[in-house]
Amino acid sequence: MKTLAPWIFVGPAVVAVIVFLYGPMIASLVLSFLDWNLLSPDVGFAGTRHYQAVAASHDFRLSAWNTLLYCLVLIPAQILLPLGFALMIHGVRGSRMGPIYRGALFLPTIVAYSVAGVAWSWLLNPVNGLFNEVLSALGLPRSRWHTDPQLALLCVSLVTFWKSFGLNMLLWLAALTTVPQSLIEAARLDGARPRRIFFNITLPLISPTAFFIAVTTLFSVLDDIVGVVDVLTGGGPAGSSSNLLYYLWQQGLGFFQFGQASAVAMILIVAVLLVTWAQFALVERKVHYE
Amino acid sequence: MTSLSRRSLLVSGAAMIGAGLLAGRARASDARLTISSIWGADKPFQKVVDAFNAKGLGVTVENRFDGDYETATAKALAGIAAGKEPDLMITGWKFGYFARRILGARDLREINSARVNAIMANFRPSLAPLVTIDGALIGLPWAMSTPITFINSVLWAEAGLSADLPENPDTDWLYDAARKLDAALKGHATYRSALALSNNEWTSQSFIQNAGGFIIDPNGKLALDSEAARLGMEAYCAPAHEGLWLPVSGKEQDAAFEAGALAICTTTSTRAVAFPQGPAKAITAKFPGLPGHARNMNSGGNFLAVYTKNQERAEAALTFLEFCASAEGQKIWSEVGYLNTSTHEIPLINEFMKPAEAQLVDGLTAETIWPGKRGLEGQTIWRNWVSRMLTKDVSVADGLKQASAELSTVLAD
Repeated sequence: MKTLAPWIFVGPAVVAVIVFLYGPMIASLVLSFLDWNLLSPDVGFAGTRHYQAVAASHDFRLSAWNTLLYCLVLIPAQILLPLGFALMIHGVRGSRMGPIYRGALFLPTIVAYSVAGVAWSWLLNPVNGLFNEVLSALGLPRSRWHTDPQLALLCVSLVTFWKSFGLNMLLWLAALTTVPQSLIEAARLDGARPRRIFFNITLPLISPTAFFIAVTTLFSVLDDIVGVVDVLTGGGPAGSSSNLLYYLWQQGLGFFQFGQASAVAMILIVAVLLVTWAQFALVERKVHYE
Repeated sequence: MTSLSRRSLLVSGAAMIGAGLLAGRARASDARLTISSIWGADKPFQKVVDAFNAKGLGVTVENRFDGDYETATAKALAGIAAGKEPDLMITGWKFGYFARRILGARDLREINSARVNAIMANFRPSLAPLVTIDGALIGLPWAMSTPITFINSVLWAEAGLSADLPENPDTDWLYDAARKLDAALKGHATYRSALALSNNEWTSQSFIQNAGGFIIDPNGKLALDSEAARLGMEAYCAPAHEGLWLPVSGKEQDAAFEAGALAICTTTSTRAVAFPQGPAKAITAKFPGLPGHARNMNSGGNFLAVYTKNQERAEAALTFLEFCASAEGQKIWSEVGYLNTSTHEIPLINEFMKPAEAQLVDGLTAETIWPGKRGLEGQTIWRNWVSRMLTKDVSVADGLKQASAELSTVLAD
């Protein structure tokens, strides 16, 4: 009974992980080497053909490059800017405005992607969107925003950031509240400046949260961008705002090319695993768990 | 104020439950069909469904909103794979090959040729080829649109342009008007852009066909390497290159036009339901032809296809199609703003539909139905190349050449 009890507790979670995570991953791996479609009983062995087709695809390469750019821009932004906001809100804790600032900054996170996409397409509409009206009022040239191939990626990144930075901000804020004020006060009495207090006291104490945010932000950035791209640009113009996850979705559920979609999924899984492994190998040793 | 005793409450409650049970028993003998559709309960299609159900013909249909054409098609595919196919589906014209070859849309004549011939007799004979794929009649051609020109009459008048629109406008006239609008209205309170020809894979087809060419010719072969295709695409891209047209998505174009910021837009004739009622006070004209070339306009929209493999349910589906094809069904359906493809005398919902009706009378081709297993991908490839040509990322000649090369590979699969 003693050995059974833990399994009763973790059983549902284990089943869910197997059914919804490892099962689909293994299915994707298998499908990436097969010629198969939903409606045909015929299954053929494709070898590495789907991987070769994907590698040869201009759209895949463009999506991969865009994904790299997204990550390079969004991951640091999604970690550092929410920390900045959290520090500012933490600084005004106890004031009446604190909860209002916190609520206002967190609000975009709970907005549905479809709503966010529609709202931003009104704001960014190149013909008569609010942003262009403001630019005109200031005597500045109007922009084509997300319909300009040069700007589409940036626009989608900005909207994604706006939509999802609130969660990291809350996590940072929760971590900051765990830092004992007595340590901060003592450091201040010893003449330490705010910058020194932050790097020598606050950051080490919140480093477990920092590590958690660093790891999970990679996943959330990849996940969040799909909804925004789908609603705002559809990957366009001419693929300029597409990314690997959107490309995967398009291949699988848009074009029903399950073999190629599965190949992209496996490439993405391997890439994310490598990055996560690197994060654990290089960053985790700097985390203070005590 | 009537007092409610416990007894009367029990009696009336029992009566209601009994009535419900009896009605339930009566309904249990009905065939209950699911229609996967792109319209929710707030759209006129629901009125068609409700009117049919109210007739109590022993068939009950349920309108299941499944999103846009692409999403509905994906859901249908998943449903078919799971053995739970929709009985009927609103299928985009552009998915014709996919519907027949992959999803297995039924040949209606195989279900019951006598009934289907009687149903099709309600439609103009010229439409049958549009819903005939690989020799199989796969749907009811009841939802047909065509791109036409919408003009913001307020801006038009302010720019001093004549409200007498030509019966057969061409690009010379349209682009000249756009230039005049731009010159006259810069700095105007609401005016922001002269022209939009968006929804690019559809309207680019119109330009190519009006130049005498095809994207895919009647024999199903890619035809983008023709002189006519080049001419059509150059005329299509010219206003974007000149700065008269800001290429935006159809959604953004509609929002801008409805807000009165856009002077001219070419889009689906179904917008005749809404555009003239908004601040733009739209007036309509035919889609622009190309000077010196015979017009050859394309259609758009969707058809009603039967997917159920069960013969009894397929027969029940025909009962619904009979109603859709009837004068009564068509009259309700006409509120959507599609063209009257039937032989019934159905008045146009408003005068703004006249140019679309005239294009139908002139004759319409199908919108591009992308062939091959990877046809849906073909549509996206073409859309992307059109975008590149519009933004001068590539010249028209090179864009057509490269689009043709990429499409050849995909469509050969």
